[in-house]
Amino acid sequence: MPERRPVVSALLALALLASVFARAAAAGPPRVVSLNPSLTAILLALDAEATLVGVDEYSAQLEPRVRGLPRVGGLFNPSLEAIVALAPSTVALVPSVQQRELRGRLEALGIEVLALPNISYDEVLRSIVVLGERVGHGAAARARADAIRAAWRDALERADGAVPVRAVLVLQRDPLYVVGGGSFLDEMLEAAGAENLARGFGEPYPRVSVEWLIAAAPELILDAADPAAEARAHWSQWPSLPAVASGRVDALDRQLTIPGPYLDRALAQLADRVRGAPP
Amino acid sequence: MKVLTARAAALRISLLGALLLASLLLGIAAGPSELGGGDALRALWAWDDAGAAADIVLRVRLPRVLLAAAVGAALAVAGALFQALLRNPLADPYVLGVSGGAAVGGILALSFGPALGWGAAAAPPAAFAGALVTTVVLYAVAGVRGRVSATHLLLTGVVFNAFASAGIVFIASLAGLSESTSLFLWLIGSLSAVRADAAPVVGAFLALGIGCALPLLRDLNLLALGEESAQQLGVDVGRTQRVLLLSTSLMVGAAVAVAGLIGFVGLIVPHLLRLRLGPDHRLLVPAAALGGAAFLVLCDTAARTVFGGRELPVGAITALAGGPLFLFLLRRYHLRSFAP
Repeated sequence: MPERRPVVSALLALALLASVFARAAAAGPPRVVSLNPSLTAILLALDAEATLVGVDEYSAQLEPRVRGLPRVGGLFNPSLEAIVALAPSTVALVPSVQQRELRGRLEALGIEVLALPNISYDEVLRSIVVLGERVGHGAAARARADAIRAAWRDALERADGAVPVRAVLVLQRDPLYVVGGGSFLDEMLEAAGAENLARGFGEPYPRVSVEWLIAAAPELILDAADPAAEARAHWSQWPSLPAVASGRVDALDRQLTIPGPYLDRALAQLADRVRGAPP
Repeated sequence: MKVLTARAAALRISLLGALLLASLLLGIAAGPSELGGGDALRALWAWDDAGAAADIVLRVRLPRVLLAAAVGAALAVAGALFQALLRNPLADPYVLGVSGGAAVGGILALSFGPALGWGAAAAPPAAFAGALVTTVVLYAVAGVRGRVSATHLLLTGVVFNAFASAGIVFIASLAGLSESTSLFLWLIGSLSAVRADAAPVVGAFLALGIGCALPLLRDLNLLALGEESAQQLGVDVGRTQRVLLLSTSLMVGAAVAVAGLIGFVGLIVPHLLRLRLGPDHRLLVPAAALGGAAFLVLCDTAARTVFGGRELPVGAITALAGGPLFLFLLRRYHLRSFAP
């Protein structure tokens, strides 16, 4: 059918272009396109900035150091053509429903895809090590992972024997999103000596009602939502909350809730905040 | 045409008032926490300011059910007025693009406000501005020599709605990750992220909108006979259209500004009531206010409670309940019976 010829030709040309780029890229130093801010943060923390040839829009928003790099679209609408044109040796992404199809199309074009889940604590550690090794910074990656494990052990020791503090970690106030069960933040809260009251929801980042939170009566509210300055005023609307009554509403650095390379800093800050709460 | 006696009309309005009161009490008694219905109503009655029950009843549930009532009333009254003005059973704020215009304004503020240092509080006034601008544009495009052609207005609204939908998708694709969840909930319609002091504001706009419309309801009945006939019977058609368009945009702008795009309330409630009460707008408009309020309070109570502590957007409930109900009514009574 003649009308299909231009489409078929274009697809063949794209595949040919991709295979040429892929062969050229495989021969030289790593050329990485990162499609997730947490993966971009890992590469920057490992001093592997030179391997980055392109990033997603959100990485560019969050990391000033990559704003000069070519952008290939958002988390939900990355451009296949923009990625292919950068001739990457590796595309690093977090597997998600939105990027499942993109992953298949990239692999069909012969481009290596490094899919790194980052929901649980172990997954985040593994993503640091695997990504570091892939770009030739394996030693730095293992050192970063060791530092995080050391912070974990330290947090456990500090919390040892203490009664767990009933806490919630707020990610967004309106609508209200909190840290639920199964996420790295849930595991770190527990390691720091807190009882995550939203663990029962069984999903990593559930949307909950204010009424649920009031009835849960947390002793400690860790608030990582923007703007941080409004955290105390916001929760003071409900004075019956034990955390409000005892002044235990603490703003948390939002960057520390990213499943990135600095979980050790997040653990130390969480442990400090939990220890500051009454037993 | 069904014509009710004054006594029968008063009885039906009283029944709708009782339904609204019952839905408000149910909305206050029911919630995702383990606070019992009796305890909740006792906390309301005692108006005790301290304790978790007071926080839940007086500072979470009460402002929310009052807001749901105000938004539901505004959308239902706006739907009844639009259907009468345009003599079209499918006319409502969504079909005409007034809600879409409000959504564009609100989403612009939600998406780009943070970069300008604006918080989420910028969305309601922006949405209200969007509704007003849309109404002015509709009137300017569809109006001819101070009069609005119903057909032109409906066609202009349909085209503007498509334009607004494209604009919303375009803006949403540029929005940051942290704004995308707020944006999604706003598009589908939700009362969960609303400030406690929003109900009086929406209530004030509702009162203003109904206050502007009430003296014109007899003229609206005559407009159902056609513009020429209404004019021969002494109706100032152009002025009536202008005032009613302004009053509906006031109500829709305020409702969309605080709750996003809640669908089907403006469509289903006036149709249901018209079937039971007849087409007299002097009865239908107050009845739509009471019925729309009760409908949205009940839908929002379901949205808050069916999945425990996890909330559903109320727009999903109104669509799930309203869509099949509308199709049932369409099948049962045929479109002709819906016509105002």
